[in-house]
Amino acid sequence: MAERGAGDRGGFGRGFGRGFGRGRGDRGRGDRGRGGRRGGRRDEEEKWVPVTKLGRLVKEGKITSLEQIYLHSLPVKEHQIIDTLLGGRLKDEVMKIMPVQKQTRAGQRTRFKAFVVVGDTDGHVGLGVKCAKEVATAIRGAIILAKLSVIPVRRGYWGNKIGKPHTVPCKVTGKCGSVTVRMVPAPRGAGIVAARVPKKVLQFAGIEDVFTSSRGSTKTLGNFVKATFECLMKTYGFLTPDFWMETRFSKSPFQEYTDLLAKPTKAILIENTES
Amino acid sequence: MGSNMNDMKSLQETNLDEEGDQEFELEDVDDGDEEEEVEEYVTLGLVEKPKNPKFLLRHLFPSKAGGVPAWLDPVDLPQEKSRICGFCGEPLQFLLQIYAPISEESSTFHRILYVFMCPSMSCLLRDQHEQWKRREDNPCRSVKVFRCQLPRCNPFYSSEPPKHDGIDKPLTVGAALCSWCGTWKGEKVCSSCRRARYCSEKHQALHWKSGHRNQCRQIVNYSETSSSSPDSSSNRLPAVGKVACSTLWPEYEIIIEDECAFDTEAFEDNNCATSLVPKNMKTDDSYQFMLDKLEADEKKKTWASFQERIAKCPKQVLRYCRDPKAKPLWPLSIGCPSVANIPKCNYCNGPICYEFQIMPQLLFYFGVRNDPDSLDWGTIAVYTCSASCGSSISYKEEFAWVQLYPTAPMT
Repeated sequence: MAERGAGDRGGFGRGFGRGFGRGRGDRGRGDRGRGGRRGGRRDEEEKWVPVTKLGRLVKEGKITSLEQIYLHSLPVKEHQIIDTLLGGRLKDEVMKIMPVQKQTRAGQRTRFKAFVVVGDTDGHVGLGVKCAKEVATAIRGAIILAKLSVIPVRRGYWGNKIGKPHTVPCKVTGKCGSVTVRMVPAPRGAGIVAARVPKKVLQFAGIEDVFTSSRGSTKTLGNFVKATFECLMKTYGFLTPDFWMETRFSKSPFQEYTDLLAKPTKAILIENTES
Repeated sequence: MGSNMNDMKSLQETNLDEEGDQEFELEDVDDGDEEEEVEEYVTLGLVEKPKNPKFLLRHLFPSKAGGVPAWLDPVDLPQEKSRICGFCGEPLQFLLQIYAPISEESSTFHRILYVFMCPSMSCLLRDQHEQWKRREDNPCRSVKVFRCQLPRCNPFYSSEPPKHDGIDKPLTVGAALCSWCGTWKGEKVCSSCRRARYCSEKHQALHWKSGHRNQCRQIVNYSETSSSSPDSSSNRLPAVGKVACSTLWPEYEIIIEDECAFDTEAFEDNNCATSLVPKNMKTDDSYQFMLDKLEADEKKKTWASFQERIAKCPKQVLRYCRDPKAKPLWPLSIGCPSVANIPKCNYCNGPICYEFQIMPQLLFYFGVRNDPDSLDWGTIAVYTCSASCGSSISYKEEFAWVQLYPTAPMT
């Protein structure tokens, strides 16, 4: 083994810790001469080592679709989970970058707030906001936050159930601040009848035709967009007749096996205490 | 937009064109990442499959995870009470050990910290409550940390560094270890063959069921026929065979890296990105409300900064920093210890300080199953005596703090 300059340790390994004094700026290499990045952009997914149990389940392949996660309302803490499950279908777009300033003794300190919407145009959207000193950092952070906030969007029909669902299943409304946004099912070919910014969100969601109506101070675009997002969240919250069948609860990946679930009953009417 | 600008002062945004006399409210939204905290010099541990299991024997002073521990002091191993889980009574399983000498003192020329834990998640859940108790209440724990240190001249190892040429040897034979777990001292002996040793009745029963029943008879017969007793000098090298227990965690070597070696070359070309910024730089109050609602709250911020920090090196399983000002990197904002929760050293009554923490990536490398009842943790922070005191006991117990992910969904 090479004589590592370990002072009076001779040839003994450095081990953990400073060993020989403060190495603050010292890019010490490991004992095996490893270290430093292998330059260039790494393949993020390959290098992902999951930190949460859900992450490990996804990496193993036990969970194959986002819907399984939504079914049990499991919190998603790692954006690579969404990457693995939705893969290349997820597109992102920076809606706006806004400089914000803070007054300091030495002048103004400017940071950039990035607002990003992600979605596969097939029923999943997410919104993310991040503030950082550099634009690129803010955008990257916002994309990650957007991926963590992906929600499912329910689509339905205006009239005859021919072809794929193309519009919202029913009239829904969302409110944020003073802005209320109301979405009304539209026939095929109507297109998205909405203002510029919510139109973008709806396009990412995969809704092809919809009529919208808004009220309140829609000039506050922040509230406007958030109201649209809330509205989309409610599409799966609305109880339509197809949901009248009693739910057969299934075991969540995190739930302890209970005796109640073991009994082969037609329908289980108890509250399912999820983890 | 003019009148709106005045309203906006409370929204902590200001137009670049405005002149300075007015009072501006300080932006207190997320100032955490603005103050350039002096980042401590953190050393990371990464796991790797060893090229040869022989490199992980005790006379080479390894840092390793999983498998069996390489005891520094091979004779005076931890006693009965310290090596069992406080809840289920099973002997603890070896998690990892790190070689962390302190060069300033001569008594700590060799210093290894061992971490053991009970593989049962239900014990870990109960342990979470026990760690809050004060030392006087004698809390039982399922996670235990031992520290062992030796000066350069000691009866067990040569004062010269090992040459790593395959013929290094320790100076003395170690104590016999349990045939089942290979971890703890094998004080009890199998009554029939008198060869197999065990640390506890539970392990003896397990070994008997899983094959010793057949082998025991054969060993008895063989030893009667063979005349010579095994030569003790040839046994000085510890055996590298597999132990009988199959549920031990897979063995890895821990490689040491500095965190600063992973700092990204983040000076990406900002030009293309800044073109997205509107030229007039007029602030827009329209986004303020949205930003307030969509930006992260305290819990998420802690998690976000945790993720950012480990993103520099996603494969890390251990973070080491023995600086007195160092603080562990907590993934969650709840369940962190305050100064009052950290007890004093058991032996010298001096203060103890944070030394290293174990990350959840280790579970991934161990291949722990992901059932509802399998092992999972957020982080395990280990606190050790600041003075690294010596005493007559070889393996001194230190303090471990476990932070688990909450089982209820976080809103």
